[in-house]
Amino acid sequence: MKNTLTCREATRLLLEDEDRELPVADRVALQVHVKICFACQRFVSQLNFMRRATRAWRKHSETDDDDSDESTRA
Amino acid sequence: MSDFARQIEQLRPQLLRFARTQLRNDAWAEDAVSESLLAALERPQSFGGHSQLKTWLVGILKHKVVDQLRRHTREATILVGEDGEDLDDDLFLADGHWRDAPQDWGDPDAACSRRQFFDVLQTCCDHLPPVQARVFMMREWLELESDEICAELAITTSNLWVLLHRARLRLRDCLQLRWFNASPAIN
Repeated sequence: MKNTLTCREATRLLLEDEDRELPVADRVALQVHVKICFACQRFVSQLNFMRRATRAWRKHSETDDDDSDESTRA
Repeated sequence: MSDFARQIEQLRPQLLRFARTQLRNDAWAEDAVSESLLAALERPQSFGGHSQLKTWLVGILKHKVVDQLRRHTREATILVGEDGEDLDDDLFLADGHWRDAPQDWGDPDAACSRRQFFDVLQTCCDHLPPVQARVFMMREWLELESDEICAELAITTSNLWVLLHRARLRLRDCLQLRWFNASPAIN
């Protein structure tokens, strides 16, 4: 099992984790890396935010009435 | 009944905007929206009135968007191999370290209640290379599972991961540039 990841490898795995279940070995390696790497911790926060933001955007676009939105914006 | 038709017709521009963002092709988007409106007019009784009219129409539109993608599978993915370069080489040094550490976005969630933020997000999606935009929208907007997207677009899962990887990094870059760097001016 590989236990030292570079930031580039960690980033690739973090992105893959958005779309598939990672193998256990990868998840462990990722946890070890992120724990000690503040740059990748920030990347994780950014990804988490992007996920919440996309969900909010979808909801906004599906339900929001644009006309009333324009008026509250002014 | 004619009132119903008028209400539906009024939502056409908004539906068209979603369809364009998802399909990245004006003709396909027009078709998807027209088919949705027709379907809605043909069975108004299936609109229960429990949800907003727009929510109901968007639900129909999502199916029509997938229909369009299925119909145009070949054209929709013809560029997979050359759909933009990886950003990775710009982001990382040769030894695999970040060239510049990702910036602290602070407490960004207040943005999620702001219309301007969604406009930026939409712009960033519109700026993605076409195939990346399609797979990203299928995943995040149509909420399809990876294997469904691969089946609809006739691409492999590794193709899909590469495309989503690129799309998410580009979006991150775009949000940094157009929202987080620009925020003081917007506020």
